[in-house]
Amino acid sequence: MSAIQKADLPSRMKKRSPETDTTDHSVHALTPYRVLSIAFLIFLTILFIFPLYWIVTGSFKTQQVINARVPVWFPLNPTVGNYERLFQKPAFTWLFNTVLLCAAAMGLTCVSAAMGGYALAKKNFRGRTFLFSLFVCAMALPKQVILIPLLKEMAFLKLHNTLWAVILPTVGWPFGVFLMKQFSEGIPNEMLEAARIDGAGEARTFIDIILPMIKPGIGALAIFTFITAWNDYFLQLIMLNDTKVLTISLGIAKLQSELSTDYGLIMAGAALGSIPIIIIFLLFQKFFTRGITMGAVKG
Amino acid sequence: MKEARRRENIAGYIFMAPSLLFFLGFVIFPMGMCLVTSFFNYTMTDFSFVGLNNYKEMFGDPIFSKALVNTIIIVVVSVPVTCMFSLWVASIIFKMRPLNTSFFRCVFYLPVVTGSVAVTVVWKWIFNNYTGVLNYLFKSLGIISKNMNWLGDPSTALWCIITILLTTSVGQPIVLYVSALSNVDHSLTEAASVDGATNMQVFWRIKWPQIMPTTLYILVITTINSFQCFALIQLLTSGGPNNSTQTIMYYIYYQAFKLNRYGYGSAMGIILAIIIAVFSAIQFRLAKTDNG
Amino acid sequence: MKKLLALLLCLMLMIPAFALADGVEITLWTYPIGSWTDDATVASLIADFNAAYPDIKVNVQFLDYQSGDDQVTTAIEAKTTPDVIFEGPERLVANWGAAGKMLDLSDLFETEEGKTIYETVSGSCKGADGKYYEYPLCMTTHCMVINKKAFEAADAMKYINEETRTWTTEDFENACRALTEAGFTPVTGIVYCGGQGGDQGTRALVYNLYSGTFTDETFTTYTMDSEANIKGLQKLYDMVQEGIMTVDPGIVAGDAISLFCNGTASMCFCWNAALETNNKDTLAENVEPYAVAFPSDDGVPTLDGGIWGFGIFDNGDEARANAAKEFIKFMCNDATQAPKSVYATGYFATRAIGDIYTGTEKEANAAYDAFSPYFGGYYQIAPNWAAQRTAWWNLLQRVFASGNVADEVAVYMTEANAK
Repeated sequence: MSAIQKADLPSRMKKRSPETDTTDHSVHALTPYRVLSIAFLIFLTILFIFPLYWIVTGSFKTQQVINARVPVWFPLNPTVGNYERLFQKPAFTWLFNTVLLCAAAMGLTCVSAAMGGYALAKKNFRGRTFLFSLFVCAMALPKQVILIPLLKEMAFLKLHNTLWAVILPTVGWPFGVFLMKQFSEGIPNEMLEAARIDGAGEARTFIDIILPMIKPGIGALAIFTFITAWNDYFLQLIMLNDTKVLTISLGIAKLQSELSTDYGLIMAGAALGSIPIIIIFLLFQKFFTRGITMGAVKG
Repeated sequence: MKEARRRENIAGYIFMAPSLLFFLGFVIFPMGMCLVTSFFNYTMTDFSFVGLNNYKEMFGDPIFSKALVNTIIIVVVSVPVTCMFSLWVASIIFKMRPLNTSFFRCVFYLPVVTGSVAVTVVWKWIFNNYTGVLNYLFKSLGIISKNMNWLGDPSTALWCIITILLTTSVGQPIVLYVSALSNVDHSLTEAASVDGATNMQVFWRIKWPQIMPTTLYILVITTINSFQCFALIQLLTSGGPNNSTQTIMYYIYYQAFKLNRYGYGSAMGIILAIIIAVFSAIQFRLAKTDNG
Repeated sequence: MKKLLALLLCLMLMIPAFALADGVEITLWTYPIGSWTDDATVASLIADFNAAYPDIKVNVQFLDYQSGDDQVTTAIEAKTTPDVIFEGPERLVANWGAAGKMLDLSDLFETEEGKTIYETVSGSCKGADGKYYEYPLCMTTHCMVINKKAFEAADAMKYINEETRTWTTEDFENACRALTEAGFTPVTGIVYCGGQGGDQGTRALVYNLYSGTFTDETFTTYTMDSEANIKGLQKLYDMVQEGIMTVDPGIVAGDAISLFCNGTASMCFCWNAALETNNKDTLAENVEPYAVAFPSDDGVPTLDGGIWGFGIFDNGDEARANAAKEFIKFMCNDATQAPKSVYATGYFATRAIGDIYTGTEKEANAAYDAFSPYFGGYYQIAPNWAAQRTAWWNLLQRVFASGNVADEVAVYMTEANAK
């Protein structure tokens, strides 16, 4: 805690947080612009919440209700049939796989990126600039570019059709290192100097001094990686085949079949896949927003 | 001195080792393989060197050009729109009471945590020509007279995709802008107001420069996001109708998995990688100079 | 938190251990063919098999047509293919077989039962190299379906020969006109072309209108540019322009079927015996499905068929390959099991095993046998099939967008007959 303040790391963040500020509001009178904006904002709110509402209610509708030409806004005769059919499939295994996959990708990314980012920011080793440019150029690369070689590589490593095939490339993706480099740059050199003079070794310095200071950054990266991994449908699609190793996203996608579009079942799958993470999000909302904000501290 | 330098090198590499292992192993190595296979006619049964033929074919392939154009449209439209939209929303909500601010933040972040596939399938249903709620609503409101085939009409399909992409990508920028705006140096804005500056002037002269780093960061993550909109295309339109939603990302997948033309797919991957690398380099330059 | 993470990571490490053990454990991948997509049905079929062969464990994986091909492709490239796969000749023979990924099943055709398989069927299971890559279990003809109640309301049943369940192009057009006027359902029929799902229906619709063919007689070249076929496409285009037919580039057959079942459309161009069974519970009150053949100018249709059977991937493991063959033999040849396996598909056996539907839950399926004489040959094994399928739905999208039939067909021809 004190380390953060000492480092003055989030320099742009140290000012009042909006939560503690109340004096500011009185200045903004209710101008017509503001009224209109808020009306529009409420409209947008409906627009953004509606899909979720439609997933949840849709999952309780019967096939007839779903295919009705006049939409039924609320299922008056709810059915759990969709869920019954969903749980005939190993839906919980899919959910478990997804959580496992995201957690592993998150853990590995945080460790490797924290170390790598620190080295790129503070270690003046040969090839540093080159490596960093490589990371930056590869950052926005869509995974479709390398899908075929990656597939072959995973097959060669006998990892195809295991969660590792998704985890490893996710960890390799350079965004994490980039983010952590930006964070580590905020560490004042004097502190490292002081540690060296005190005779602390590299490992000691990293664990005792660097880690506590970049903790918020790691938090940001953890959240970012978790969500990215959760949403990374493509990599899952090409790497996972077996029903037993599917993720929930893949599971939902595969519920659509060629000769029937069973929206009730698909919505039940979508609800199962999204409600848990939404609950986590709402519970840890503060950490999420703080983590995300931390990520942008250094532009 | 030399000894210190050597130690610095070793320490640097040791710290880099884990991330380098993953990065080189699962990004750079496949990238290299991709470059190599792009010179081969590589299918399920064939692997023969064809030089630059794949590249030549690509530039004569009308679907490829269409995909390229669509990809650029998606990025060029969604990135600035996302940024402006989130800045606007943030500028409204950051002044609200804390509880309201976090409520709206949550609302706009919801599609991100719902997951891309779940969001996509529900939108597919909403857009459905016959049973979709959108047509019903628009018809009841008298906006359209007969059902529109949103995803089946070449003139609307891409825009539907961009719209969905927007809803899933504004969450993070809004959170970022809210915090950036709350941290704008208050004394400066107040002083300017006292001096008679209009709201607009205050915004552009004082706030905008201060939130610039946030904007650049948002540009980077939104660009990444826009290049990754694969699930939307695959699950909603498969690149149709009439290739109007074809993107390079999907076309590579299509060539590789439907037609088993791995070499050709790799060649397109290389071109895409070059485009993106240039894009990133420019953005990074911009960020550098502005921070500078 | 750290401990939790560590625990999770340990769990992760155990995942590769799930990989298939050697020995006689085989994997079956099945596309959705009739009820072979339903866990309980397939589990009971496998239970039958295990009663006879307790030592062979069968793992099942259900594929769908949306992503199934991609899954097989990745599996081939990653060398994680299953042992047995259940699908039709266009994939087993023309695609994976031709690419050398499948085992020759000639010996199965030498069995007593194998010799009695209808010749038109066994011929389709044979690759260009003379090897058999599929051992067929069942077959059917694809037809279309109309909503009898809608037709009756529009007084359009008179356009259909109820005895043979056939009609002419003129009848078809008149019926659509009558249906539009009556307005019993919002649309008449929907030419779906949002993807390749159920494209056998749109193909048969187009080439039957003026008695064209989809490929030449030897199944080597596509013939969509024939006069008859262009005329057929033009007719459909004109009907859409007139407003008595709908085209939808946003949907595939599955959606079209749902729209038929919920009473939005009066007819659907993708139908067969199994679909009737599978959709029984989704029908709206005013929908009564009535299967008919595709309309053709002379009233004598040529119908597409489906032949489904098993193939074995060459995984270089003899024990598993032999176990897989035992599995196939049991499912297709065993006197008591074969009818059960076929019954689960809702289609018809590929050799004479007698009527299996009369007096069962799937009684309605027996009627579909009436279409069998119109089976026109299995042209789906023509070369470049996968690329052609994409070219086909794209052709439909372009034709209905521009109306320039001849030019668009020319583009399609270069794509389909390429290489």
